[in-house]
Amino acid sequence: MAEVALTARTPLDGYAGTFGGVTLVEAAGLSLVSAAVPNGGGDAFAAALAEGFGASRPSTGESVPGDRLGARILGMQPDQMFILFEAPDPDRAAEAVSSALGPAAYVTDQSDSWAMLRIEGRGVRAALERICMLDLDDAAFPQGRVARTVMEHLAVIILRDGADSFLLMTPRSSARSFLHAVELSLANVSE
Amino acid sequence: MNGPFRLDGGLIDRARALAFRFDGRPLTGHPGDTLASALLANGVRLVGRSFKYHRPRGIFTAGSEEPNALVELRSGALREPNTRATVAELFDGLEASSQNHRGSLRRDLLAVNDLIAPFLSAGFYYKTFMWPKSFWERVYEPAIRASAGLGRLSGEADPDCYDKGFLHCDLLVIGAGPAGLAAALAAGRSGARVILADEDFVMGGRLNAETHEVNGRSGADWCAEAVGELASMDRVRLLLRTTVTGAWDHGIYGALERRTDHLAGSGGKPRQILWRIYSKRAVLAAGATERPIAFGGNDRPGIMLAGAVRAYANRFAVGAGRHVGLFTNNDDGWRTAADLARKGVPVAAVIDARDQEPVAEVPGARIVMGGRVTATRGRHGLRGVTLATGERLALDCLAVSGGWSPNVHLTCHHGGRPVWRDGIAAFVPGDGLPGGMSVAGAAGGSFTTAAALAEGHGAAVEALDGLGLSAAAGEPPGASDESVEVSPFWHVAESRGRAWLDLQNDVTVKDVVQAHSEGFRSVEHLKRYTTLGMATDQGKTANVAALAIMAGQTGNSIAETGTTMFRPPYTPVPVAAFAGRSRGREFRPTRLTPSHDWAEARGAVFVEAGLWLRAQWFPRPGETRWRQSVDREVQQTRGSVGICDVTTLGKIDIQGRDAGEFLNRIYANGFATLAVGKVRYGLMLREDGIAYDDGTTARLGENHFVMTTTTVNAVLVFRNMEFARQCLWPGLDVHLISVTEQWAQFAVAGPNSRALLRKVVDPEHDISNEAFPFMACGEVGVCGGTPARLFRISFSGELAYEIAVPARYGEALMEALMAAGGEFGAVAYGTEALGVMRIEKGHAAANELNGQTTARMLGMQRMVSKKKDCIGNILSERPEMNREGGLEMMGFRPVDRSEPLAAGAHFLAPGREAVTENDEGWMTSVAWSPELGHSIGLGFIRNGHARIGETVRAWDGVRGRDVAVEIVSAHFLDPDGERLRG
Amino acid sequence: MLIDHPLLGPRDAQEFVVLGDAGLIDRPDRQAGDAARRFHEYLHLRNNPAGEHRELWFHEQGDRSWLVVTRDTLTHEILRVELARDVAVARGRDR
Repeated sequence: MAEVALTARTPLDGYAGTFGGVTLVEAAGLSLVSAAVPNGGGDAFAAALAEGFGASRPSTGESVPGDRLGARILGMQPDQMFILFEAPDPDRAAEAVSSALGPAAYVTDQSDSWAMLRIEGRGVRAALERICMLDLDDAAFPQGRVARTVMEHLAVIILRDGADSFLLMTPRSSARSFLHAVELSLANVSE
Repeated sequence: MNGPFRLDGGLIDRARALAFRFDGRPLTGHPGDTLASALLANGVRLVGRSFKYHRPRGIFTAGSEEPNALVELRSGALREPNTRATVAELFDGLEASSQNHRGSLRRDLLAVNDLIAPFLSAGFYYKTFMWPKSFWERVYEPAIRASAGLGRLSGEADPDCYDKGFLHCDLLVIGAGPAGLAAALAAGRSGARVILADEDFVMGGRLNAETHEVNGRSGADWCAEAVGELASMDRVRLLLRTTVTGAWDHGIYGALERRTDHLAGSGGKPRQILWRIYSKRAVLAAGATERPIAFGGNDRPGIMLAGAVRAYANRFAVGAGRHVGLFTNNDDGWRTAADLARKGVPVAAVIDARDQEPVAEVPGARIVMGGRVTATRGRHGLRGVTLATGERLALDCLAVSGGWSPNVHLTCHHGGRPVWRDGIAAFVPGDGLPGGMSVAGAAGGSFTTAAALAEGHGAAVEALDGLGLSAAAGEPPGASDESVEVSPFWHVAESRGRAWLDLQNDVTVKDVVQAHSEGFRSVEHLKRYTTLGMATDQGKTANVAALAIMAGQTGNSIAETGTTMFRPPYTPVPVAAFAGRSRGREFRPTRLTPSHDWAEARGAVFVEAGLWLRAQWFPRPGETRWRQSVDREVQQTRGSVGICDVTTLGKIDIQGRDAGEFLNRIYANGFATLAVGKVRYGLMLREDGIAYDDGTTARLGENHFVMTTTTVNAVLVFRNMEFARQCLWPGLDVHLISVTEQWAQFAVAGPNSRALLRKVVDPEHDISNEAFPFMACGEVGVCGGTPARLFRISFSGELAYEIAVPARYGEALMEALMAAGGEFGAVAYGTEALGVMRIEKGHAAANELNGQTTARMLGMQRMVSKKKDCIGNILSERPEMNREGGLEMMGFRPVDRSEPLAAGAHFLAPGREAVTENDEGWMTSVAWSPELGHSIGLGFIRNGHARIGETVRAWDGVRGRDVAVEIVSAHFLDPDGERLRG
Repeated sequence: MLIDHPLLGPRDAQEFVVLGDAGLIDRPDRQAGDAARRFHEYLHLRNNPAGEHRELWFHEQGDRSWLVVTRDTLTHEILRVELARDVAVARGRDR
């Protein structure tokens, strides 16, 4: 057998950049697992979520924090949540969710499907308004709000995780194109 | 430093001088100037030549409606033609040049067109360039192209960059004149999210051009204060230099912001931004446009709109002449005389078409009531006019006012038709406004300042009410109601010489009359026949007078005649702004496979497959032609082992109690019976029975499958499955999520593939042929515990596997596989070798699944289950799709083995003529088979299986080839599949 | 265009893919005696109303819900937006 264990590579190789007062960094160390709610299994799912993560079930477009593993539950579809958390073993992220939720959910690892960028700082919305068609105003998109949308032809999940902080998730294969789009937006709006 | 025509006052910064050039001549102006005001200040009146007749033309307006003063700005690659001097903000170092002349501006050789004008009237093109037909392309078109157009494009790539963006608001206010400012103040003070957009570089609209007072202060001062208050509100966004160009559905507006056009350089920032504005309500406060009166020779430089003359005097501190006359049909025009007199500019004459008492006293001016201007003189600029009485007046500027037309344009963008209002002799917005839009001020026909302020305020309060926001707007600002009395008067009938309507397209009163006499009665026909209003200004100053003249011809009222429609954009938008960032490599994003960097470092040649970049082949030193690399990759894979990144295939995770039943209905063949730990090939039909995708699906658990789709159809298959899940069978418990990006997947193919994998897969997993036979799948560990999925499937026809790891390990796995394969001489292979091997094996791919093929054509009719419900099975039973002797997928080889084959060739029986009736099918895919040593092809041919061994022609009319080919089985090698089971 | 998603509020039509007539929910029963004719009509025969029209839209760049959008084809006004799953269930679709 092979002598050397495989080395992981993040989609953006740990990118970090600063543009005026805004920082843009690849968010590392987070696992992402989808959990689909079996038909007719809403109550069991909610109970399992409370039991396994100490979280209530978010409605679509909302996210709620859990009380362990730094988890946040994102309501992606009417019957599908994403669980964003710090898995003890990233290679077994789906198993971790599976054992937490039991048969109340169908789980699928999505950790490698999405590159994650955190964009943070005053002026972050001025940059995002060049590529994001969603209204990111405080009233329309308060902290905790999450949405899947499209920016520069690419799918993006946007989570507002702070007053001036957003987590952007985009498909891994096109992550460099997306990073370029965000960098360009930041450059275009910087003084 | 002041130009000879510079006056006192105005909104210019005299402390700074800006040097600029016009046609190479050095001139100066000041911040606050437009190019037009600076030219006038320097006494430059002749600025261009007209489109058709090359008549000398000057500055006609002071705004975006300008038809005449089109110039080229900047130089080299930055040169921009057809720029309106009246909106081009002056900056230090600006270079401008006049356009549309051969030779100098003053001595334009093409002015000869003006002499032959009688032959160039309406419909000239349609009548003249008809015969002979052979002249169309060789003579007429080159000649017309050489003389057509106004400015010149640089012919170079635009070095500037552009951007787009998205804005949201409760209330969008379009136009920052008195109505717009009052609306924005009312909404802003109420706490609403407001966007106030204005095309000008100073907010205030006509308040900056007039001497009106607001709240007892000068209009300009009040504007500055209002803008200051708005700027201090954090929910209000002010967009200067921003034109709202179109109204789209559901409160969405397009707007072009010019960010750096007023600067010497863009500094690497976007020059312009095209905004998409999402508004809950909008107030159109776009003001009104003054219109001229048509009379003989009314196009000479020095003849200007009266309101523009006022704007140059009051805002830009420029006298448009030294002997100014006024020709008006309304009270508003008289303000020009009053304002000029106040500025010390001599007013020589006031000619009012109305036979009534003079509106005001104008000291020193000859007042002619009921007067008519019939002719003008002055070659490169106005020197004098002649009245109907025969009286001649010496004038260097004639200010003309035919009344004002509300800027209704955006009210028409959803099909609204303006209606005629006699009291102001103008079209005002009719029904059918875009949803959520209201109109305030002059745009709605309320021309006084007091009315504009009150209506703007009121429109904002009403809009906030509609949104459930409580207005805390206070009272509207106050102003006086100045007189705007007008009597319709469009055209001086006694005119001598041509009377111009559309200055930009050189359309005259005579053209309109002629169009009518030739039968063009509808305004839409009139427009297209004469080209009236079809220039870049869309006839903003021209249309109404032309309609009035048309109405006069037909004997109908203007209301009955109606108006043409306005469409977006309100003013021209550069194509570069529509493109935004999407230029060059940034036209669309790129998807990269996990092994991309690895492949790039090894010199791989890449091919675009949708958004993906895939390695096409991996050239080695000494290989100079692609075939050498591809042949080697195929031979080495078939001879030992090869590795290919197949991550791009769509992968969909399917879970649920009914997942098996769901797949039974999605695929034509059965899946419910697939055992856990097994993979099955599946064919998908559209509901009409046509095959549209294929792939393999593995059963990882009782309720857990993972499907692969073709690369191109990954999105479509997912969409269709969601449709089936949500809309057709909502009671099935099945859940889908894409895992295309989650797993890096590699094909490991060739007789040594198992031996290679044994070195990578952790030893506790038995992958022997007995434990892990063909079409087995399972979860394994690789390289000491990294989770992986192993599938024993083969696209190449060899003993083969696909192995998947989480994408973050993809590159490392590629390296590990190549390292482990070193002893076998493992090669990486690209999409070309992949294609060669699948053609040798007779596997259908996109060329065969082209949206026209049935399962029967592919030889898969037995896979389409009759026993179960599945998408497409009912309509796949239609007789024509099952006719004996129909098209069947076969293999083809050249009778002369040295002949190459070409995809796209059509099959004909020997000796038959190459016509459609004799067509027997076509070649879909070809390759040179290193295994067989000759070209091979796949294709569809009628009744193919019964004709094995027959020779037909592969006729390729496009490439001019005609090759005799033999019909053979599509499985060129290992037809019994011994290799892949070994 | 904006589509007022029943769960998410107004979203730009750019996030959606349109399929066509909402009648595509009513897939015929293959057991019916005249299934071939019914499938033919289901797939190929469409009304093209000037006015109110029910259409299927997929929120592909969003929550992946299929929606039934009732839209006036003359004015583009959107009169009603429903989750297609709810419509399907109400029309008797199940397993």
